[in-house]
Amino acid sequence: MDLFQLQRRLVDYRASLYHEDFLDEQFSQLQDLQDENNPDFVVEVVTLFFEDSERLLNELAKALEQPIIDFKRVDAHVHQFKGSSSSIGAQRVQKACIAFRNYCEEQNVEGCLKCLQQLRHEYSLVKTKLESMFQLEQQILSAGGSIPM
Amino acid sequence: MIQENVWISTNSLDFAQSMTLLLRFQIQSYIQRTMYSHGTSGEQSNYYSRSRGLRVLLVDDDEINRMVTKKMLEKLGCEVTAVSTGFECLSAFSHAENSFRVVVLDLHMPEIYGFEVATRIRKFRSCNWPLIIALTASTEDNVQKRCVQIGMNAVLQKPVLLQAMAAELQRILHRAKPL
Repeated sequence: MDLFQLQRRLVDYRASLYHEDFLDEQFSQLQDLQDENNPDFVVEVVTLFFEDSERLLNELAKALEQPIIDFKRVDAHVHQFKGSSSSIGAQRVQKACIAFRNYCEEQNVEGCLKCLQQLRHEYSLVKTKLESMFQLEQQILSAGGSIPM
Repeated sequence: MIQENVWISTNSLDFAQSMTLLLRFQIQSYIQRTMYSHGTSGEQSNYYSRSRGLRVLLVDDDEINRMVTKKMLEKLGCEVTAVSTGFECLSAFSHAENSFRVVVLDLHMPEIYGFEVATRIRKFRSCNWPLIIALTASTEDNVQKRCVQIGMNAVLQKPVLLQAMAAELQRILHRAKPL
């Protein structure tokens, strides 16, 4: 694939992520914040998001395995996850968190477990897609091209 | 930096007087820097001129949010110190040489609730500064009302957009009473 095709592919791929609500305008904000002083800003923030998310998913699984579930604790984790996903523009993850919080409020264990599954699913989808996007960007840069806006 | 040269011994002057002098010099130097930068950076200057060189204290317990908001404020030309707890925030104020003009404060922090922090800042510094911008994910009316009651200058909805932050900074700096 030549440079032009790669760039075209990236533009289309990015557009599809927005179109399918994986990402929202908050993500393009992150891209706007990136500059020569911080050329890897987006990758850095997203990497941090991945680490944080994995930690939160583990905490959530543990909290929901307890014989007596501390719903306040579960809700606090989900609240944090909602905040960080909204900061980076991971819209579907954020939406999954909102649904999750409702079940926490109701203290509905089954509902929470289902939401955790949904949340894991949405998170792994957006992670895969963002990684693919970053890979495409790397390919373009390695080929001597620049990332189209 | 002009701040370091201005600290006046409290032995020779009344404390309030020395603080006032300190503030005057800081604001003058800040205005000078603003005017200087206004001439140098073409496209952004009018929009961002008031925030250039502005010393901001950012308080947010979430690492990702902190990183993004910090970058946003730096993009607007601010000089940002970021802390992750209410305690760190209050101790930053107890160091007299820290002269934060604006505090950007996340309201929902675990160990010391954002409202509490703001109330204490206002008690600690009873004049019109620092200006406080609250960040909240909540859309409830009573959050806004409570912020106004405590003496905060602006409330922004999370996730924060660059333009929204820029607009609020401009607005509150414009309205801030000079000392």
